[in-house]
This record gives sequence, C-alpha cells and structure tokens, in this order.
Amino acid sequence: MKKSILVIALVAATGAMFAQKKTTTSGTVNFDATTSLDQLPKAENKTVIVAIDPKKGSVAFEVVMKNFTFGNPRIQEHFNGPRWLDSEKFPTATFKGNITNLAAIDFKKDGTYDADVAGDLTIHGVTKPVKTTGKIVVAGKALSANADFSIKLEDYGVDGPQIAAGKISKEPKITVAADLQ
Amino acid sequence: MDAAKKRMNPWLKKILFGIIILSIAGAGAIWYIFNEKFSDTNEIKPDYTVNALDLIHEFEKNDSLSNRKYGEKIMVVNGLVTQVEGADTTVNIKMADTTSGSYVIFAFQPQHRYEAKKIKEGELVSIKGSCSGGAYSQILETEFITFKRCALNK
Repeated sequence: MKKSILVIALVAATGAMFAQKKTTTSGTVNFDATTSLDQLPKAENKTVIVAIDPKKGSVAFEVVMKNFTFGNPRIQEHFNGPRWLDSEKFPTATFKGNITNLAAIDFKKDGTYDADVAGDLTIHGVTKPVKTTGKIVVAGKALSANADFSIKLEDYGVDGPQIAAGKISKEPKITVAADLQ
Repeated sequence: MDAAKKRMNPWLKKILFGIIILSIAGAGAIWYIFNEKFSDTNEIKPDYTVNALDLIHEFEKNDSLSNRKYGEKIMVVNGLVTQVEGADTTVNIKMADTTSGSYVIFAFQPQHRYEAKKIKEGELVSIKGSCSGGAYSQILETEFITFKRCALNK
C-alpha cells in the first residue's frame, strides 16, 4: 500500500515537473538584414526572455530592442533611431503564440521534435501573425528550442532610403534560440 | 601635352584639385564609418557607479525616469551574482532582488566573454557595461534591466 502511494506520488511529481512553465532570461535572437551591398546590418541579443509551457503549448518571448548589439556603432544608432525601429518609443518586441502540433511532442521523453508555432509578433508597435516550424530538444528536465523566420519590414511600418536602396534587406532573417529550465 | 597644361585655366586647376581633395576626404570618411568598432568597455570612463539592488529599486519605482537617466550610459554595477545563465555559447551574469524577482542582467563584450565564464554564483563582482534600459516583463511579471558590451570592472 505504502509502495503504491509512493509510486503515485512520484508519477504526480514527475508530471508536475514536466508540466511547469520553462523559462530563460538568456535566450538569443539574431537579426540579419545583410544584403550583397552591405554586410553590416546584423545583430544579436542575448538577454531575451523566453517561456514555453509544455502543458498548454504556449510560447512567448520578449526582446529589449536596445540590447541588440551590432559590430558597427553607426548601424546600431540607425537601428534604434526614429527612422528605423524607434526603440525609444517602442522599447520591446514580443511574440505570443502556441505550438499547434503539441500532440507530436513528448515532453517526458528525450528527443528532438519539430514544433509548428503560430502566434503574434509585435515589432515597432505593429502586431502581425507569424508561423514557423522550429525544433524542440528534450533532455531530462531541460528544453532547448530554436526557430527561424523572416519578416517583411514594411509590414511593421519600417522603411527608409537605405532599405529602398538595397543596403538593408527588406525581409531580414530572425533566429531565436533558447535553453530553458 | 605641355601646351595643354599651359592653356589650362588656373581656376579650373583649383577646382579639379578641390574635387580630388574632397573625394579623398569623402572616401576616408566612408571607410572610417564602415570600419568603426565599439571601444573596449574597460577603456571607457563610467558615467555612474551603482549597487545592483539600488539600481533595481530605482527602476521598479519609475522605469521611464530611470531609462532617461541611464539609457546608453556606461555604468559600473556592483553586486552579488545570483545566477550564471547559459546564453548560446557563452554566459550572462544576473544580479536579482530575491524578494521581488526583479533583476539586472549583463551580456559580455566578445573579448570579455571568457571573464564571465569564470564568475560563480554567490560572488561579489563589479561589472562595467552599457545600460540598455529596463522594462516590466509581461512573461515573468518582474522588472528587468539589461546591459550589453560588458566587462569585469578592473
């Protein structure tokens, strides 16, 4: 009897452990708007808050725009400036979505799974739907996740002569990666 | 050829010379802009030196005001390391208020990333970096302040 209770308690504890929301405050977002004319507009941000709820299948991230680091100071200044991302007025970018094929991912079993994710991405104060397929790696209690997708800058109200001149990609590639505990 | 030189209007000569000088200066300026790099943070004099918990409380009180005061400033932050968190191939250093959960996080400059890997949780450290500002996280429901291009303060 005691053994049965212990087993039930262990199973319940394990279930609760896997069901709880996994987070990190050190997710990475890479932004690549390079073109054949200009290799400078690319940046990384390593302090991204990322959360995945294995039970609900929700996925979210928050990025502080001014924490993107570029190699070139001038490009970083333009990136945050009022003619581009206007980071003073719109300090964060956010994503809120869900894993749409949650049944295909076994968060209790180690392995690499394809995760179809759909949700709303807000950049520059504009919210647009985004869909992508990423990877989720389950390794014990830890999860790691990564996905990449492209956005159209004009969809988010970002334009300017440098974009029109082809020095900045009209559809930058965004890569998100996170190790969650 | 000599005859052509003799015939050249002296004003035209001056204009051509001016154009050449301006072209060289313009090319130099463009080269400088494209090859400009951020200075090593350790070589920059800080605008502020603060205690991590005091900084967190200041942002919690009014983050708009704090963002205006500290945004893009080089700061030295002293405090207790509460977490060394993996960030891709490197690590970030966190100093948190364990009561509220609010935190300040430091992402290191590429040439200083090896320093971050040596830092341990529970250590008292002094970190210099560029303050990117603070915000309230809807995900974590806490205030967080981010720093970029950090180095151990020497």
